[in-house]
Amino acid sequence: MKRGHVETWDPPPQPPSGSGPSMADNKSKMAADDSNMDELLAVLGYKVRSSEMAEVAQKLEQLEMVLSNDDVGSTVLNDTVHYNPSDLSSWVESMLSELNNPASSDLDQTRICEDSDLRAIPGLSAFPAEGEVVDEEASSKRIRLGPVGSWCDAAGESTRSMVLVDSQETGVRLVHALVACAEAIQQEDHNLADALVKRVGTLAVSQAGAMGKVATYFAQALTRRIYRAYMTTETDFSGGSAVGPSFEEVLQMHFYESCPYLKFAHFTVNQAILEAVTTARRVHVIDLGLNQGMQWPALMQALAVRPGGPPSFRLTGIGPPQTENSDSLQQLGWKLAQFAQAVGVEFEFKGLAAETLSDLEPGMFETRPESETLVVNSVFELHRLLARSGSIEKLLATVKAVKPSIVTVVEQEANHNGIVFLDRFNEALHYYSSLFDSLEDSYSLPSQDRVMSEVYLGRQILNVVAAEGSDRVERHETLSQWKTRMGSAGFAPVPLGSSAFKQASMLLSLFAGGDGYRVEENDGCLMLGWQTRPLITTSAWKLGGAAVEMTR
Amino acid sequence: MAASDEVNLIDSRTVVPLNTWVLISNFKLAYNLLRRPDGTFNRHLAEFLDRKVTANANPVDGVFSFDVIIDRRINLLSRVYRPASPDQEQPPSVLDLEKPLDGEEIVPVILFFHGGSFAHSSANSAIYDTLCRRLVGVCKCVVVSVNYRRAPENPYPCAYDDGWIALNWVNSRSWLKSKKDSKVHIFLAGDSSGGNIAHNVALKAGESGIYVLGNILLNPMFGGSERTESEKRLDGKYFVTVRDRDWYWKAFLPEGEDREHPACNPFSSRARSLEGLSFPKSLVVVAGLDLIQDWQLAYAEGLKRAGQEVKLMHLEKATVGFYLLPNNNHFHNVMDEISAFVNAE
Repeated sequence: MKRGHVETWDPPPQPPSGSGPSMADNKSKMAADDSNMDELLAVLGYKVRSSEMAEVAQKLEQLEMVLSNDDVGSTVLNDTVHYNPSDLSSWVESMLSELNNPASSDLDQTRICEDSDLRAIPGLSAFPAEGEVVDEEASSKRIRLGPVGSWCDAAGESTRSMVLVDSQETGVRLVHALVACAEAIQQEDHNLADALVKRVGTLAVSQAGAMGKVATYFAQALTRRIYRAYMTTETDFSGGSAVGPSFEEVLQMHFYESCPYLKFAHFTVNQAILEAVTTARRVHVIDLGLNQGMQWPALMQALAVRPGGPPSFRLTGIGPPQTENSDSLQQLGWKLAQFAQAVGVEFEFKGLAAETLSDLEPGMFETRPESETLVVNSVFELHRLLARSGSIEKLLATVKAVKPSIVTVVEQEANHNGIVFLDRFNEALHYYSSLFDSLEDSYSLPSQDRVMSEVYLGRQILNVVAAEGSDRVERHETLSQWKTRMGSAGFAPVPLGSSAFKQASMLLSLFAGGDGYRVEENDGCLMLGWQTRPLITTSAWKLGGAAVEMTR
Repeated sequence: MAASDEVNLIDSRTVVPLNTWVLISNFKLAYNLLRRPDGTFNRHLAEFLDRKVTANANPVDGVFSFDVIIDRRINLLSRVYRPASPDQEQPPSVLDLEKPLDGEEIVPVILFFHGGSFAHSSANSAIYDTLCRRLVGVCKCVVVSVNYRRAPENPYPCAYDDGWIALNWVNSRSWLKSKKDSKVHIFLAGDSSGGNIAHNVALKAGESGIYVLGNILLNPMFGGSERTESEKRLDGKYFVTVRDRDWYWKAFLPEGEDREHPACNPFSSRARSLEGLSFPKSLVVVAGLDLIQDWQLAYAEGLKRAGQEVKLMHLEKATVGFYLLPNNNHFHNVMDEISAFVNAE
């Protein structure tokens, strides 16, 4: 602990005299200089440059003055949408702006009734009250929030977040055997590993609850790894036969029903999309993984009730190559078209079959930039591309080339892509233990949903533990890793705000066992977790750099 | 009104480092928003604004942490902080998390209750995660930080109940026993409302035969119906107002109760005497610029009069939250005192 050099502090700094080069120059230089961040505040979750500290203090004083002279101010700020509280300077600034340019509208439009039906929520919340800033000033306000490629917590260091349930003591032998087996595999001692995995199997059977189930799946995966005898259809998620993908989709549907993770993913992403297309008359969404299209009815419903009427909605859904006697993509398109008609949204659909997302070329999407606002959506798709070198870069370049207004991304919040098997194993063990724990609490759900969810997750476990090379597609990475990738590919973050946060929290409270689910705001992104362990992260991105064409 | 506001603001700027001022002013601003004018609390916005950190089983600066659900029924979580063994090569595996305490020396276990005036913050709030890590580093102890239920949704006595459950949990962990005498060496600690909780849990411990070795109260939150001299003199001057104090007591205390309730004023005429009770020695830290210091000083006095052992640290120039950043002498002095206090045997 640093002791020696910390003394009482310096007296308050003198206000800066008019400095030589223009303040604007200095500011943009400082934007790139992360080392200027106040370290002590950074540890507490606040990003404030030392050089800006006095200015931030001044703004805080100003805000206090305004609030103390004005009773309504506090109410206004309660109903306003807040973004990225870690960036103190921008947060305070945005509140000052809000109070200086008050919304003249009916504030109740943004206030959500506690008992309002969930269906109505997207419609209510996403649309700004009349007069609330959606104009140039606001957009530029948004862009100013946080510098591009902003300060990341040490992306190189790994964090292992573990939540134990008190019955840990009884499962210790089981965990011991699992870890010992993984260690044996790491040392390439397959005889020992084999003996240990059998022991795990025995212990798992007599272990009640989530721990026993997780252990069983891990034991199966370990067995597979030891023998490397797994069939293509079970591990090849990027293409696969006719049987593989649709079974996968069925499992995913049950997963969707039984616990909130997918729902949360779709919901938060839809919020971000709605906010990005508020004034668009024509919206085109490219869904990088259409699956069963479960995300889109809710979005269409929200668009349908939008004040001023719905935009037209074009959906390009990407799926695996179709077989000769089934065209599930088109069928899905028809179903969605029927839904669109029922809710009164003009709808257009195109299915794109691709073996892998890196096969996509910008021309395939037939974008209409002069009339459409483009959204690219990826829910649990990006990590698969990490299995082949160059794939993710190719895809991101393609996405960039179509010039979307917003790119929405949901990924698992875990590092299951480390080089060392044992580390991956330990990470995955804790991640899936938390997931299974959360399922365990959903006691009031139909057991079929839960069982299928466990199978769905079990397949991921199998892939993380037993597969290698291009077969290992469940290459989950953490938010800080994705931030680096997206930044390198030329994307800038679009913060998700307090409104989306609140909506997501309310969604969660509807779930049985809702107590344990938590939403957290992290540097403009929303994380859904079980207890204190984040499991899923939703983030939004736009094209970075100075010249951003707003084609609306 | 405006002129004296200006004086207030300038005053507080001269007594703390600039980054501390920014930090605490930020909290003051946010908290003012969350306490809605209509009397309700904006919990969603509170959780959105709170900066949280995950536990980390990989040691950072010699400390690792993990979370435990200590009571599944009420979803009560606690974060455990442990010193990493210097000779450990790999990061602790899940088996090491609850490994019995090492070494021949006694290892104190501090059961910590974070502050937030009963309504704000959590065990995984960054400010408290950081504080607990620093405590482990300085005192070479284990810290268990309790994520107790908060007001106004969960008023008195929820926080005390949760503290009591946590104390029993700590007391019954075989892996928290010091090798030397096979006993768990427990201290209770807390800042602001956490200090208040520590006091009340200690009271119950005394009645129930759980042996608590000491209480550490950092700017503990106490009050009473009377307006004390310090409350009048310092109202609004150093980040805190009498009005906000009243709001939090109203949110925590049972409906219809006033601030003479023993939970608020442990030495009110309604409170039971501490004389003759089994009660741990106390370290009470009072910040001289905290408007409730008269209540805190009265608390220390009350303990003394009841024949209980108490050490008072009265830091004349300290404000609320001085212990959140290690950029002032008060911080270091207090940390040293705490270390001496828990390692005294």
